[in-house]
Amino acid sequence: MIPIAKKIRVLIAKPGLDGHDRGAKVVARALRDAGMEVIYTGLRQTPEDIVEAAIQEDVDAIGLSCLSGAHMTLFPEVVKLLKKRKSGDILVAGGGIIPEEDVPKLKKAGIKVVFGPGTPLRDIVAFFETAGKGA
Amino acid sequence: MREVVPARKGAARDSVSSLVDDLFAGDKRAAAKLISLIEDDEPEATEALARIFPHTGRAHVVGFTGPPGVGKSSLINRLVRRYRSRDRKVGVVAVDPTSPYTGGAVLGDRIRMADTGVDPGVFIRSMATRGHAGGLALATFDAVRVLDALGMDIVFVETVGAGQSEVEIATRAHTTVVVEMPMTGDAVQTMKAGILEIGDVYVVNKSDLGSEDVLVANLKFQLTARDGWTPPVIRTAATEGRGIDELADALDRHAAYLDQTGFRAKREVARARLEILENAQRLLSRRVANRSRLGRAFDALAEDVAARRLDPHAAARKLLEPTRPRGK
Ligand SMILES: Nc1nc2c(ncn2[C@@H]2O[C@H](COP(=O)(O)OP(=O)(O)OP(=O)(O)O)[C@@H](O)[C@H]2O)c(=O)[nH]1
Ligand SMILES: [Mg+2]
Repeated sequence: MIPIAKKIRVLIAKPGLDGHDRGAKVVARALRDAGMEVIYTGLRQTPEDIVEAAIQEDVDAIGLSCLSGAHMTLFPEVVKLLKKRKSGDILVAGGGIIPEEDVPKLKKAGIKVVFGPGTPLRDIVAFFETAGKGA
Repeated sequence: MREVVPARKGAARDSVSSLVDDLFAGDKRAAAKLISLIEDDEPEATEALARIFPHTGRAHVVGFTGPPGVGKSSLINRLVRRYRSRDRKVGVVAVDPTSPYTGGAVLGDRIRMADTGVDPGVFIRSMATRGHAGGLALATFDAVRVLDALGMDIVFVETVGAGQSEVEIATRAHTTVVVEMPMTGDAVQTMKAGILEIGDVYVVNKSDLGSEDVLVANLKFQLTARDGWTPPVIRTAATEGRGIDELADALDRHAAYLDQTGFRAKREVARARLEILENAQRLLSRRVANRSRLGRAFDALAEDVAARRLDPHAAARKLLEPTRPRGK
């Protein structure tokens, strides 16, 4: 029997049109193994879909994975829509194939952290753990 | 083991009473936060539920059970669209199992329910069992109440459907749908204990794969009328959208049957009895763990039983005896 305690809830979403979700699934599993509840929404989600799901699921954080190269529009759009829906407290992390020079721009747009292809899972887990603790 | 983390920022920022006000005004964010308070068993949840309760009882609650991968989420997705096209507001609570080893969960039912997107008349919540048995979470039906108060006309509950005891859903939902599919072993195996008793509607999904006739015939043969209702057997192919109208019609017919026969009211009373008892048990467990008078009495009784001065049955009766007024 698992005691009822506040669980960290994370939405893992794939905005954009690329059809590769292996990375997203690996992250989802790692977060589960760290004791979190991970809502996985599948491929080809619009920023509107993602924000709607995040609000209904009352998640602490969103992990966005994008390999199509459209991260510069899609990621900031998610942050913008969250703020519009009184949900700017939900943290947003980004991952995928993201050129180094885009990282500062994404951070300025409100993406808390950007995980490149080689990021150890342990670092990703650690980020979501602090996100859940309201840090 | 993970430590208990402090309350979420969002939850801490909103007062419970303003969340409940927002819920009554139709705010989804408030509904979501209230469901989290209930799931996390926060002290404020009791207060919130007490305020919400008088505003519930309008939504028709339909439970879905059946083996993993049978197509429960896909069917619900289709039904959501169909009820939306008739302008009914639809809520969904989809339960997936918590890992007993890590306490974590991957909740994937939303993948199959992506069609509804940002439709304002739909609210979908994924929920982990968090150690509760029977294919549901402890908070599932309190979450249904939140969605009821949010103004949803119909609420679908998807159970884990992992195995033997899916009976709980039948005691909670107005209509219980049992989903099966062809080629899951022989037809006899699908008739596992209790499964023929709990359903109000039976669905044979994945009929596009063929060879569903045996299963349909077998179900029809074994299902008999109960209280004037013979559970229909509906063939569906959720991915192609076949049989969905027939399924929705069956759900509507069952709802009408409950109203016309007075069984809806009877089910409500049966459910109330169950819930009072459950809550009383939970309350008792909590109270004996306290340093209250009852807690001390419990400790003393435990000593007596351990020393063989009293047997456990007698001790239980003593524990439940009404406390005498002080000084006597
Ligand atoms: N061929 C066929 N496949 C279907 C049908 N309905 C669902 N599926 C597929 O079956 C798989 C499982 O469907 P879900 O709707 O997720 O089933 P579920 O019962 O909700 O599964 P769990 O929640 O994991 O227990 C998916 O790959 C669906 O696309 C159907 O009518 N025909
Ligand atoms: Mg499902």
